[in-house]
Amino acid sequence: MTVPSTPAAGQGRLVTVLRAWLTARTWRELAYLVSGVIIGAPTFVLAIFGVVATMASVLTIGLPVLIGVLALARLTPRYFRVPARRLLGWEWADPPPLPARTFWGRVRALPSDPTAWRALAYCLARWPLMIVGGYPGLLGVVLAPAAITYPLWWPMLPDDFNAFNNDTWAGTWRIALQGLAILIAVPWWLRLVVLLDGVLIRALLHPSRSQQRIAELEAGRAALQSDAAAMLRRVERDLHDGTQARLVALGLTLSRIENRSTQDQVRTLAADARGTVTEALAELRDIVRGMHPPALDDGLEVALTTLAARSAVPAEVTVSLADRPPDPTASALYFAVAELLTNIARHAGATRVRIDLRPDDRGLRLTVTDDGHGGATIIAPGGTPTGHGAFPADHGTLPADHGTVPGGRPASGAARAGARGSGTGLAGLARRAAALDGSLSVDSPAGGPTTVTMILPERV
Amino acid sequence: MRVVIAEDNPLLRDGIALLLGEHDIEVSAAVPDAAGLLAAVAADPPDAAIVDVRMPPTHTDEGLRAALAIRSAYPGVGVLVFSQWVETSYARQLLSENAGRVGYLLKDRIVSTDEFVGALRRVADGGTALDPEVVRQLLAAPAVDAGLARLSDREREILGLLAEGRSNVAIAEALHLVERSVEKHVTAIFTKLDLPQARTDHRRVLAVLRYLRS
Repeated sequence: MTVPSTPAAGQGRLVTVLRAWLTARTWRELAYLVSGVIIGAPTFVLAIFGVVATMASVLTIGLPVLIGVLALARLTPRYFRVPARRLLGWEWADPPPLPARTFWGRVRALPSDPTAWRALAYCLARWPLMIVGGYPGLLGVVLAPAAITYPLWWPMLPDDFNAFNNDTWAGTWRIALQGLAILIAVPWWLRLVVLLDGVLIRALLHPSRSQQRIAELEAGRAALQSDAAAMLRRVERDLHDGTQARLVALGLTLSRIENRSTQDQVRTLAADARGTVTEALAELRDIVRGMHPPALDDGLEVALTTLAARSAVPAEVTVSLADRPPDPTASALYFAVAELLTNIARHAGATRVRIDLRPDDRGLRLTVTDDGHGGATIIAPGGTPTGHGAFPADHGTLPADHGTVPGGRPASGAARAGARGSGTGLAGLARRAAALDGSLSVDSPAGGPTTVTMILPERV
Repeated sequence: MRVVIAEDNPLLRDGIALLLGEHDIEVSAAVPDAAGLLAAVAADPPDAAIVDVRMPPTHTDEGLRAALAIRSAYPGVGVLVFSQWVETSYARQLLSENAGRVGYLLKDRIVSTDEFVGALRRVADGGTALDPEVVRQLLAAPAVDAGLARLSDREREILGLLAEGRSNVAIAEALHLVERSVEKHVTAIFTKLDLPQARTDHRRVLAVLRYLRS
C-alpha cells in the first residue's frame, strides 16, 4: 500500500481498496481465472504432450505426435481469445496462416512455425498461473465471509465441532480479522495475476511485431497492385471508347473528302492522311494490348489461346484452372507468356511450343516448352548467369561490368547464353515473379529442349 | 442497296451514314442500341445491317446477339458486325450456321473505305466478309500448318483472301493476276488440302474455315 500524499487522497485510495469487491471488474477477473483453470487444463495436457514429444522426436512416434500437438497449439490463440474477449474485453488479431496450401506442405511448415511454439509455451505457463490466481480467489469468496462472521455464529456451533481450529471466543475475533484481511487483499491479487496473464498473452499469443509488419506490407502491396490494375483498365477504356472512336471518325471524314474532291492533289493528300490514321489505330491497338490486353477480361484461357494464335512459332495451350486467379496474377502470367513467345520466336529456332498452366501446391504453375536449340539462361543485371533454380541474386553482390558473356555453366552452352534474349528478358520475368512471391526457373541444356517454369502463388 | 446502322457512338454513326450516302448506299435507319436495331429491321427489312458488337446497356456483346437474331429471323438480311478487337469466338458464332450474308470486321477497317464498302456489298449480295486479322489468327493455328506447308506462298496468299470471302475476280484484282490463273490456283489449293470443290463463294469460305478449325 502506497503512502498517501494527503489525507484526502489517502482516504480516497483506502475507499477504493475497500470497495474492490463492489466493482464488476473484480468479479469478472475472478470468473476469468476460475474458468481459466477449467479451460486451461486440457491445453496444459497438450503442452505436456508437446514437451514429451519434442524430447522423443528422434523416435518415429515422437515426430507425428509433435506435429499434431503443434497443429492444435496453433488453434489455441483463438480458443483463449473467447473468454478474454467476453470477460476482460481484450482483443488480438488472428495469427498469420501457415505459408503452405497442401496437407503435406502444412505438415512440413509446422515444426518451424513460431506461432505454434509460442502458443504451446503459453499453454504450459497458463494453467499454473490460473491456479495460483483462481484458488485464492475462490477461497476468498467462500471462506472470508464465513471467517468474518465467525464471532457471530461461533456460539451456535455444537461443542465438539471445531471450525477454523479455534476454541475460544476471543480467538474468533482473530479469525475474523484474518478473514477481513484476506477479503481486502484478494481482489488485488486477482488483478496482479490477470496482469501477469496479460503480459504473457502479449508476449506469446499476439502476432509478433514482425508478423504484423509483414501482414501490413502484404496488404499494402495488394492494394497497390489492384490500384495499378484498375488504373490501367481505366486508361484502356478511355483510349478505346474515346481516342479510337475519334480516329475512326477522322478517317471517315478524310475518306469523304477524298471522295468528294475532284482535284487529284487533294485526293492524294486525303489518302495519305487516311493511311496515317490507319497506322495510328494500329499503334493504339498495340499500346493497349501492351498495357491491359482486352482478351484477359474473358479469362486466362482465351487470352493465352489468342497469344498462341498470334505466335510466329506454332503453339499449343492447355489451361486447367478451377477458378479465375486474381487480376495481378493473371496479368503477370499473360505477359510472361507473351515475352516467352517473343523470345522463342527470336532466338530459339523452335518449331513447336507447348504452354501449360495448372494448379500446384505452391500456387499456379506455368510451363513453356519449346524444341529449339536451348542455351537460355537468366542473366541478372551485372552479367552473371544464374541459370537453374532461383531468380537473380541481390544486385549488391554482382560484378559491376554489364553484359559480360559468362563462362559459368558449361551445360548451358555459354556461347549461346548471351544470344538468348541476352537473358535480361528472362531476368525481368524472374523479378516480376519474385515481386509476387513466386519463382522462375529455366532448364535449357545445349541442343534443347528448353523449359521455362514460372510458379506464382494464387493469393497475393 | 439499303442498310441499317446500329452504333452507339454518335460521331461514328453519323460519319458512317454520310460516307455510305456518298457511295450511293441508302441508310434507312441509324439507331444507337440493339432494341432499336431489331425494331428497325422488323419495321422495314433492309438489305444489310451494320452492327457494332458493343452497345448499351452492358457494352459486352449486345450487337452480336442482335446480329444472330436477325440472321435467324430474317435470312434475307445480311449482317456486317464490327468489333474493337478480334474475338475469334464471335467470328465462329456468326459463321456457325451458314457463312452467307455474314461479315465480321475490325472497327479500324472502316477507315479503309474501299474494303469497308466492298465488304458491305459482298455481304448484301449473299457472300462473306472476314477481317484479314481474323483470318491471320485462324491460319496460325498449329494443327493446320502441316497441310499449309504443302501450299506455295502464292497459294497461301490466295487461301487467306478466299477465307475473307472474296470472289475469284476480287482476288485477281488484289494480287494483280489474271482470273484464269486464280482459278487454277484455287483448284490446286482445294486439291492439296483435300477439300470438296465448292461452287459459291460463301461455301468456299465454309470449306476453308472448316479445314482451318479442325
